[in-house]
Amino acid sequence: MNHNPKIGIFLCKCGQKIDPMVDLSHLKKKITSEPGVECCEILPYPCLEPGKDLIIRKIRETGLNRLIIAGCESRLMLKKFERQMEPEGFRKGQIDIVNLRGHVAGVSDLTRAQKAEKGAKLISAAVAEMIALHPSIQQNVVITPPPVIVGGGIATFSAAWELAREGIDCLLSIPEINPDGILTHLHETYPGERANYPRLKTMIANVLASPYVRILPPGELENLAGVTGEYTLSFKVPGDPMVRKHAAGTVIACLDAELTPPGPEFGYDGKTVLCQTDFEDMVWNRKIPEGNTVFWISDYESGQPENAPLSARSAWNIGKHILENSSKSRVVILYNEQMALPVTAAERAIGRRLGLIWVPYDKSVRPILQAGYVNFGSINDHLEHELPWDHLVLSPIRKIGRQSLHTAKVLGIVHEDSDFLGMHHARVRPEMVGREESYLAGSARYACDLNDALNQGRKAGKKNAEMIQKSKTGRLFIPQVVCVVDTDKCVGCGQCQELCDCGGIGVADGSGGGLPRVVDPMVCTGGGTCAAACPYEALTLQNNTNDQREARVAALSRQMADDEFVAFACSWAGLPAADNAGNLGMKYDPRIHIIGVPCLGQLDPSVMARAFLDGTPGLLMVGCSPEDCHHSFGIDHAWSRVNLMKKLFSLCGFDRRRITVAHADLNKPEEFIKTVESFTKVVASLGPIEKTPENQSKLQSIYRLVKSNSRVRLLLSSGLRRPWEKTYRGDQRFALQYDREDFNAALKEEFVKARLENVFMGSGKQSFNIEELKTAIAEEKSHVVSQLSEMVSEGILNIRYKGGKPFYLMSAN
Amino acid sequence: MIKFHINGKTVEAEPGWTVLETARHYGIDIPTLCYHEAVLPSGACRLCIVEIKDGNWSKLVASCIYPVAEGINIYTDTDRVRNVRRWIFEMLLAQCPASADIRALAKKHGVESTRFSINNPDEDCMVCGLCARACEEIVGLSAISVMDRGVHKKIGAPFSRPTEVCVACGCCVTICPTGAMRRLIESVRETPAVTLTPLAM
Repeated sequence: MNHNPKIGIFLCKCGQKIDPMVDLSHLKKKITSEPGVECCEILPYPCLEPGKDLIIRKIRETGLNRLIIAGCESRLMLKKFERQMEPEGFRKGQIDIVNLRGHVAGVSDLTRAQKAEKGAKLISAAVAEMIALHPSIQQNVVITPPPVIVGGGIATFSAAWELAREGIDCLLSIPEINPDGILTHLHETYPGERANYPRLKTMIANVLASPYVRILPPGELENLAGVTGEYTLSFKVPGDPMVRKHAAGTVIACLDAELTPPGPEFGYDGKTVLCQTDFEDMVWNRKIPEGNTVFWISDYESGQPENAPLSARSAWNIGKHILENSSKSRVVILYNEQMALPVTAAERAIGRRLGLIWVPYDKSVRPILQAGYVNFGSINDHLEHELPWDHLVLSPIRKIGRQSLHTAKVLGIVHEDSDFLGMHHARVRPEMVGREESYLAGSARYACDLNDALNQGRKAGKKNAEMIQKSKTGRLFIPQVVCVVDTDKCVGCGQCQELCDCGGIGVADGSGGGLPRVVDPMVCTGGGTCAAACPYEALTLQNNTNDQREARVAALSRQMADDEFVAFACSWAGLPAADNAGNLGMKYDPRIHIIGVPCLGQLDPSVMARAFLDGTPGLLMVGCSPEDCHHSFGIDHAWSRVNLMKKLFSLCGFDRRRITVAHADLNKPEEFIKTVESFTKVVASLGPIEKTPENQSKLQSIYRLVKSNSRVRLLLSSGLRRPWEKTYRGDQRFALQYDREDFNAALKEEFVKARLENVFMGSGKQSFNIEELKTAIAEEKSHVVSQLSEMVSEGILNIRYKGGKPFYLMSAN
Repeated sequence: MIKFHINGKTVEAEPGWTVLETARHYGIDIPTLCYHEAVLPSGACRLCIVEIKDGNWSKLVASCIYPVAEGINIYTDTDRVRNVRRWIFEMLLAQCPASADIRALAKKHGVESTRFSINNPDEDCMVCGLCARACEEIVGLSAISVMDRGVHKKIGAPFSRPTEVCVACGCCVTICPTGAMRRLIESVRETPAVTLTPLAM
């Protein structure tokens, strides 16, 4: 890959939508002289075929390796350009789109020339980012060892069958190898599925007989290390000190949920008041119960309303079997009126023929179980009715079992505080979603029936087979934008792993704390809040690095006039709101300069500090509303980081209002305009941060502090909201206490240190006495002295005595 | 290189270009609604019609999907084109009278009223399906699609209910040529929770 940037800029006239408003030839003149810019062309439509052909001709003629298109919304157009330029060797990150039409052309009453100036500022910032881009080398992923299917769930067999059909060897770790034995216990996890057993039995037998399938000797999964293509799985056999290790290309976890009877508060006794799981065993293996059987779909009452349709399905299956085989039985299914009946019209007709009765009950009246009768509130007449019962069957409680939880923990796919393993809360485009589907299957992922579990297994098998086939032909590549760990810098604090919501971060080898982390590039989704949270700058998001964003924001901030400011807008709320405002022809203050980012959570505090260091008087961060963040908790993370900046501003005596988070909605551009107008007023009233040496030194200190002070960064990232957390450090429950107890004090200490360091580094002078330092940073003497002694003990400063008075100087390293 | 003529002017195009793309490249204005550069053309709204003349014979085609060919004579502003375009505008004004964008575009082309009966004066969607194509091609999902057929055709999510498939990226709102998606997206995306987690635990 060529690291020598040759940037091609293509300005779009967009018919009559840009050209009449923006003086493009003036804009062209302004940016052609930027370093790194190889060519700049004005095209009527770069996005259409004629434009594409022209761009490709330019690429071939001048050897361009970066493209900037100044036209319309990158949210809409970027994918097309990336697809079109791929044959020319362009990959993700090498093409950028600046929205000239939506953010510059129509939205203000500036003159053509002024708009060209604004456009030039935005484009030159994009140029700076392109220069800072170091495209990664495209790497092949080689998967030689076979896939291993662990966990022992029923989906194991459908996944293995799919792999075997593709002629791929696979290893299974299952506790039982007799088809009948496997089916004996199946009703405990999937009740009411007997009709599927013959088919399933054939599949299991086929899998076990397949020449591609090998069964691992039984053992408990103890550890997983490595990344896709080179996993090592360790199994332990009880009573055997030896740990058996297996190489694995990919790992599929097939985990079933554990179904337990509801507690005695539902009257469960295991004899007449039963749970579906043991009742099914009784119906098929002992004797079909005579008399009245009442299935109470009790999921609403046991706190799992989402599982009610599943329980109702299995109740229907069991009830149907009873009625078909015994004339002395009656079956009633009692269900909460809130549940939609999960049976088809044809099935209801069968039910009527057999005499199976569905009885809905009033959701506001809790059914009460008495000896022989259960009473419920009717939704028709609001009378309390009674149903006689000889056997009362309750819904099971579904959640991940201990065994599955252990396996999930070892595999690093566990989400704390939840009944199931399904991980992705992110609402993003499919290409940005992780590969949960390819490594996790079964009812432990989310409550589901047998059919769904087998389908999940089939899907996982198919996706893994696809990946392995691709790797065999050398067509499987590491995605462009993923996190990479610098193992020399990583100390193994594990902050990134806790913050990661895609499960892509793990430990290279071994287990326990303090070990350097590795990113599995095939699982990482490139969300990037983990990289922004790393206290030691060990984690970077390749092709979308922090340096790139710093370069961009610095280039833009340098060009800001006294009342202009930079804004970051996330691509889910702020950016679409701005785009839509532009499309609707709304007008707003032109002093805002928007930079789009995928999610505000990607922004390292150093980017914010850099913006102020390079001269923007204000920084606005427009994101989603806190309850609506599309990437787990990106907006909360951004909030915490902005708050850090505010605290530092307080320490410096700058106005805290200079940096603010705003919440937007894509469909409310008029509200976005209010945000812009209001913040513009604030910035205009505050004016710029005066460029005195003292202020510059303060801003320099803030930048150094948030970028490389690992204590502050660790404190900050440990306070960020975890994907499973309902509350976090900045939340109202903790914010005040957090500030008072540790964060503010630590920040103050470290800030004084950073200021001192700045004094030493910023001047030609070698050594200082305490008085000089005190005046240089205008701090109380006691603070200065205590921080100086700490810096001496940390080895940053050396101390010398002249005439009995201490002098401090920078130590050599 | 393919040589042909637009409005008497000789233009050059590469194989694979469409008439509309070539015209735009040469700065010739053809009005469009359902066309957007980010997705494949579909020729739904017919507003981009042009006339191909060959001696005494001529035909009208949708230029967004008509591939260029050697020597054809394209006219974008003949009486016939203007007449049919006026009819299309009148039909659009009857279909979606509430859309300010369509009214503005029609006015630009001299059409301000319609002879057709207006079924729903509040309708602003012209059912061109551009949003559904954007959802599929750009986002990679199919949260919204064109439902039903004929005069009952409409845009929405399955069963006209908010769907969790929708990631609320707003591509459909940005791309919508009539502004109808601003209203429709509220029935597609799952609205964010407005109640916050209570403080007391």
